[in-house]
Amino acid sequence: MVTVNFPAALQSISGPTLVVRESVHTVGQLVEALDRLVPGLARELDDPLYNIAVNDELLLHNVDARQVKDGDVIEIVPSMAGG
Amino acid sequence: MAIRDRVARLLEEMPREAQFPSQGATLFVDLERRDTVSAYTPLAVTRTVLAGRGANMYYLYRLLDESLTPLDPGIPLIFGSGLLTGLVPSAARGNCTSWSPESGVLLDSNAGDYFPSFLRMNGFDHLVIYGRAAAWTLIVIREGRVTLEDASPYVGMDNIDMRAQVARDLGGTWTKNLSMANITRAGENLVLTSGVMAGPKAVYARGGPGAKMGALRLKAIVTMAQTREFPTAAPYKPYNRHIAQQLLATSVVKNALSKTGTPFLYKPSRLLGAMGTKNNQETTWTEGLDAEHFDPYRPGMEGCFRCPVNCRPLNDLHKAAPGRYDKGDGPEYVTLGKFGPNLGIDSVEAVIRLNNVCNDLGLDTASTGSALAWAFELYQRGIISAQDTGGIDLRWGDAATIERLLFMTAAREGFGDVLADSTRAVEKGHYPAAALKYLIAVKGLGQSDPHDARILKAFALGLAVATRGMDHLRNRATLEINARINDNLAFKAELYGGPVSAEPNGYEGKERAVRACEDIYAIGDSVGMCRFTTKLFNSPSLPGIEEFRTQLANVTGLQFSAGELEQCGLNVMGVERLINHRLGVRRQDDTLPDRWFDEPNPSGPYTGERIDRKQFDEMLSRFYAISRLTSEGVPEEAWRKELVGALGHG
Repeated sequence: MVTVNFPAALQSISGPTLVVRESVHTVGQLVEALDRLVPGLARELDDPLYNIAVNDELLLHNVDARQVKDGDVIEIVPSMAGG
Repeated sequence: MAIRDRVARLLEEMPREAQFPSQGATLFVDLERRDTVSAYTPLAVTRTVLAGRGANMYYLYRLLDESLTPLDPGIPLIFGSGLLTGLVPSAARGNCTSWSPESGVLLDSNAGDYFPSFLRMNGFDHLVIYGRAAAWTLIVIREGRVTLEDASPYVGMDNIDMRAQVARDLGGTWTKNLSMANITRAGENLVLTSGVMAGPKAVYARGGPGAKMGALRLKAIVTMAQTREFPTAAPYKPYNRHIAQQLLATSVVKNALSKTGTPFLYKPSRLLGAMGTKNNQETTWTEGLDAEHFDPYRPGMEGCFRCPVNCRPLNDLHKAAPGRYDKGDGPEYVTLGKFGPNLGIDSVEAVIRLNNVCNDLGLDTASTGSALAWAFELYQRGIISAQDTGGIDLRWGDAATIERLLFMTAAREGFGDVLADSTRAVEKGHYPAAALKYLIAVKGLGQSDPHDARILKAFALGLAVATRGMDHLRNRATLEINARINDNLAFKAELYGGPVSAEPNGYEGKERAVRACEDIYAIGDSVGMCRFTTKLFNSPSLPGIEEFRTQLANVTGLQFSAGELEQCGLNVMGVERLINHRLGVRRQDDTLPDRWFDEPNPSGPYTGERIDRKQFDEMLSRFYAISRLTSEGVPEEAWRKELVGALGHG
């Protein structure tokens, strides 16, 4: 079971949290599983605005191959620069 | 040659008629003699560096006398709006340029709100101001007519009172037909971290423009006019609709900027272990300052002239009896970082209040926050003591003391006089030389943003080579923080014109990302586009070269190929480097604080990361090579001749 928390901008589609109960081993598989739970969600996540953090570790590259395991908490983190 | 001789020589070369539709005049104001004269930027200059920031560099390059000092009245203070300012959605910006009394190198600062647009609507693209007024003065521009008026009733006023009093005295309505660029007490007192306010929060912030304006005894420039239609070469509004739709359809605008504003960056920075904390001794801080914790205090969003984005958050601390600093505009991410983690403050309410105080006092939150954090670390290390601070205990996180220090800084009272000298505190004899080891600054300018760039090497290179000093808004390759883009190497190569490493902490190809950003941002500044809505800053799908050249053709009638426009961006950087070279800047100044080379990052997934001196130096050499710069960081001889041919000799 992997818990995924979403930012406000996505919550109208995803709700604040989704729990993925099917077996997934990578972030790429996790996103596919999320899309099965909420069709269209993968397309929303395919947006450079959104980064993914696994147990508070922000991923900046090689994201789809990153391993996830049962009990992990994933967060979708909007990332932008400011002035 | 004295400034008046330089101006006279320049005027001989300047046409007296507009060179293309929509071009405004350049107004020269001699405050000492109370003379004004206007002329137009030559077409060859426009084709080389555009207007706004670019043409400001032309004026500074031609009028700079480096044998003087920055606050000398013979050094001009220059304002300029972009070629599209006031006409195109989100193009509401202008620049303020001089020789920085804070850093000692180029001063160039950008602001929006309404002043740059209304200046153009009064018929002026640039103001070149010099000479020291005999008494405090207002420059008032009414429907294009210029008068120099007595500013004595406003002396001693900070931003809130000044704006209220000017509106009462002169009439008009902010955001409709009245705008102002003004200094506060801090500027009057020559505080080196003082800005020129351009609105309740908007500020020409970096490099001490407030002190420069104060040294000329100029309290404010006020424009009064109805907004008017520009005569343009061709209809431009149909394409404006395309640009507005493009802006509003971009995810970062739709889902972040227009809803929350820039504080969104706090969270990824702290998760990454890149959040400058306690003068960058640490790199992560409390989740209590994540953007969502500001939501209850944000009653709405505001924006600049004709900008559909509205990215500026308002704040309200919901006090039963609101005081002067319980409501205001902001904070932006920079202020959140500089007055949150970098000073050890963990309270949303404290950050908001300090933000509001700085807006009133006219203090650049980046430089002021940097000067405070530097002092606090020196105190922590015993390099300075309570004897030096007048008995004030500099404890991290003590918001009440920090607020007190802000007022002391604006007044140059007690230890505030030390803080008011910013990065020059050692040179002025306030601190021992040992203090320089802990100064987070490049070329004499404290870091603009709180992002600790030991991890992201493109960010680090950008901070090192930025022409105004350690500032992220000149060239930040922001997309290096977006994993989707990092993982698409072909797309990255297309964006930046060649391969760029996917790894955020890699050095390979990062010079290309910085070069591409520096070019498009310089073009954006020179046409007046906001950084937040310019391609490559936060998104690859925002308006860029194609949109700019289309509207330049519609508005001005000037045709630029994509390559010619890109060259203009490079030219702006080239002239800035020629200016800096005259001010003594060399390769050794394109560097970073020692801490980032010597101390490993203490937290997050990149714990242990630092800047490798050899790899940094190699990256810098590659950057120079693709930028047509010599090994000392100035334009190669052939290019320098081209620039001088177009702009004339300095």
